[in-house]
Amino acid sequence: MDLPIIQTPIAPRWVWMEEVTYSHIPIATLITAFLLLAPIYETIGYLRKDPRFDRLAKSMVFFTMILYSPGAALGTGIPMFIIGLWPEFWSRWSNLFFWPLMGQFMFFLLDVIFLFFFYYLMWEKLADRKPLHIFFGFLSALFGILIQLVWDSLGGYMTTPSVPLPMVNEPVGWSAAAFFNPSFPYLFAHRFFANISYTMLLLGGVFALKYMRQKDPQEKAYFGFAADLTFTIGFLCFFVMPFVGWNFARVLQEESPVVFHAIMGGHASPYFVVKMGLIAFLVSFGGAYLFMRHRNRAVLAFITAGIAGIYYILHVHPPLHWIPGGPTVWRVSYTVVLAGLLIFFWTRKRKGEEESASRPRLMFLVGLAAFFAFALGGFTRERARQPYNVYGQLVKSEVLPLEADRWLTYEKCIMCHHQSPAEFERYKPKDWVARVKTERDRPGVNISDEEAERITRFLQENYR
Amino acid sequence: MNHIEFPILGAKWAIGSIALFHTAVASLAIGFAFFVAVAEIMGYVHKNRQYDLLAKRVQLIHVCIYNIGTINAIGLVFALSGLFPQFWSQIFVQFYWPLIVEEFLFFLLATTLTFHYFFWDRLWGHKKLHIFMGVLLTPMFFLQFYIINGLGGFMLTQGVGEAELSLRTGILGWDRLGFYNPSFLMLTLHRTLANFAYGSFGVAGICGAMLYLTNRPKVKAFYEEGGRLAFYVAFAAFLSLPIIGYFYAHVLRTQANEAFVNLMWGRGDVVAGGVDWWWVKHILVASMLGMCLTYFMRTSDDKRPFNIPNIMVISVAGFYIMFYLAMGMIMTWAFFWWMLAFGIGGACLSGHLLSYHQGSGRGVYLLIGILSFATVLLGGYARESARPRFVDRISHYDQVFVPEDRQPYLMLPLKPTTEAATVMKEPVGAGELIRKKCTGCHTLDRIKNYPRTNWDTVVRQMEVYGARLSDKERELVTAHLKEGKPL
Repeated sequence: MDLPIIQTPIAPRWVWMEEVTYSHIPIATLITAFLLLAPIYETIGYLRKDPRFDRLAKSMVFFTMILYSPGAALGTGIPMFIIGLWPEFWSRWSNLFFWPLMGQFMFFLLDVIFLFFFYYLMWEKLADRKPLHIFFGFLSALFGILIQLVWDSLGGYMTTPSVPLPMVNEPVGWSAAAFFNPSFPYLFAHRFFANISYTMLLLGGVFALKYMRQKDPQEKAYFGFAADLTFTIGFLCFFVMPFVGWNFARVLQEESPVVFHAIMGGHASPYFVVKMGLIAFLVSFGGAYLFMRHRNRAVLAFITAGIAGIYYILHVHPPLHWIPGGPTVWRVSYTVVLAGLLIFFWTRKRKGEEESASRPRLMFLVGLAAFFAFALGGFTRERARQPYNVYGQLVKSEVLPLEADRWLTYEKCIMCHHQSPAEFERYKPKDWVARVKTERDRPGVNISDEEAERITRFLQENYR
Repeated sequence: MNHIEFPILGAKWAIGSIALFHTAVASLAIGFAFFVAVAEIMGYVHKNRQYDLLAKRVQLIHVCIYNIGTINAIGLVFALSGLFPQFWSQIFVQFYWPLIVEEFLFFLLATTLTFHYFFWDRLWGHKKLHIFMGVLLTPMFFLQFYIINGLGGFMLTQGVGEAELSLRTGILGWDRLGFYNPSFLMLTLHRTLANFAYGSFGVAGICGAMLYLTNRPKVKAFYEEGGRLAFYVAFAAFLSLPIIGYFYAHVLRTQANEAFVNLMWGRGDVVAGGVDWWWVKHILVASMLGMCLTYFMRTSDDKRPFNIPNIMVISVAGFYIMFYLAMGMIMTWAFFWWMLAFGIGGACLSGHLLSYHQGSGRGVYLLIGILSFATVLLGGYARESARPRFVDRISHYDQVFVPEDRQPYLMLPLKPTTEAATVMKEPVGAGELIRKKCTGCHTLDRIKNYPRTNWDTVVRQMEVYGARLSDKERELVTAHLKEGKPL
């Protein structure tokens, strides 16, 4: 028997879905990061006997409290939308992951109980028993992280499904192989550090704006301290990302090559390029700010090492084909840019002691860039997987011929031409019939007549 | 096995536990929102800071428990998806749009509630605006509640034929006739007022607990007055419950006779562990009524704000006695006498507690808070357990209504795999059928040890208790049992 899909008014169903999801994710990630960092700051404040840390931690928890209810309400909307609009996907997916979802529910419940009743409400009452209060804060953070862990596992499965998606009348409930799918640890690590990085950079920007507007010297000093601390932590956390991100990409290359190629040179690459542009902006201006402000050599050395790390990642990364001139130009380009950046940073060292109105604004812009880079990551991943809801297993019902042909082309051709879809641009439309025929005749290639026709059509229409 | 099993609890109890916990918390939230609005308005009108402070404290608890309710709702969605996929898909085909509106309201409500509490002091200079935000929460909750009751009512009094017609001619995801089902109105009215009463009794209970915990005279006076106000607000909502309850029962009698019979004669899951839980609920309600009546007789004071006139109190007592009389006529007179006895018992207990605490309502507040919590749980339980059992929760979609002529291009194939299809097509033997149909409620030992041979009667009795058998299955099962074949 077939299952009906409910049609949505005004916009297609994926637009509605993404609207709900992208309104929930920033709130949820902000909460997860704040929940982790608040007890850390509180601990530092307790150990150093510095009330500024305690104030910072408390303000983060207060903000979390304000965000929690709307965020949770939006979160409940996600399954509601999916169940109605993607009934087959949800039924089969929740069949495979029933027990992780129930675990998720328990983690949520414990998270709320510890956050609301033991951490927020007890802040003053447990002022004399700070270690106990901090312990409750860490428990709340732990459950927040466990929630993220489960989601990342289930999300990772959609891109690198390690076991087949079962039918609804084949009950599973739990599959370790599905839960611990290949991309899960990398997705989790990537999002974990990204959460901290973008929230702290954004928070630093907001504190910087507040610092700029403050007239009370005491308040001004506090916001200056908070802006500097959060921005620095956010910036330093960023440098974990290239390593995790590259390993994540390698897993995608192995397990879901179509997704990898869609991001690296195919239809999802424009989003990825914008994301990289935003990251370049945040590294350049964020780094410049920190070099101007900081005397701490360890911080500056860490940033330098981070830039060197980025250099290493770019070195092992395949050349980007949208840069004209081939691999040599690509390698020379990033070497010059990164070396120039480091020279610029070190020459700006401690030159920014004087007050500048533009600096807080720039910090806020860096925070925004970090946020959008983060948001674009998920968006790019989703686009790259299309037209599949679960990679290679469940196609969306409104799949377009273009999308189906594109997937087929990537799948059949990129296995050997593994550099990038951009390689296809070497040929002219008139060459494609002969080219596809030649490739089909190679030993080990399995392309039917119908598939060859679709691949040729796609290549002719999209690589002119 | 073709569905996910829930260990220890079983699927039915797993869903029931989450749903009841959610109901208890969500109902409390609705009641709290109502009470907070009343208390804040009282504080503003009477220029009494204490009422405002009480409203703020209750709202803080509300913010905290609201999120527990939200998380429970998510848990319920997850659990239903895995344990009752067929039912859950069916519900979405019929009520997707109301659920999305519900979701939208949920977000608005969460945001308004958050702003109302966290900006309490910042909006001190704009008290009317702040009160408006607080008052807004009640209609928002009501609308949410309205939608959920449409679905809840449908599960008891659906009128399937009409619902299909509604989908065939209307919009997929909005089953208008199914939503406005026969018991919808009564369920909504009953639960709305019950929630207002429960939430306010809950506040009284909290005040009672705080009175036990504190020794400071000022704080005591604060919670004493807070408890009194909450108690009065709750009682005002309590007023019409027996009238609505009676008509609700009447709707069930005509539209869901099996559920009605189960409730009235203690059948099906209404009786669990040898206890008729519907009776227990009413015993608790009668005790609460008795406690309220004594409390009002002893504390009524026209000079204090929000006082309830004696005539109103006597009317409530009259309504309840009429309700118990009517139930006595329908069920058994024992019901009437039991309720009367517990009503008098509650009245005596309340009088004793007031005297023991030298006029302080602490004991009454705390006890009635606990009892109201128990009645909400038992009310939900009785309604759910009265419904004919969800016998077959196999994860296939054969019974999902699909208006195929309208959207052929939006149909997703959900074909079972070849292996599973083979299993499903195999004829089910009588022994397996008995294991499948009977062991949901009792063990096979009950069948093996049954001393008599009147299996025709027994099988029919089991069907009354909720076993679902087709004619062919009944014949097969009865013949198998009569012949005494192994199970």
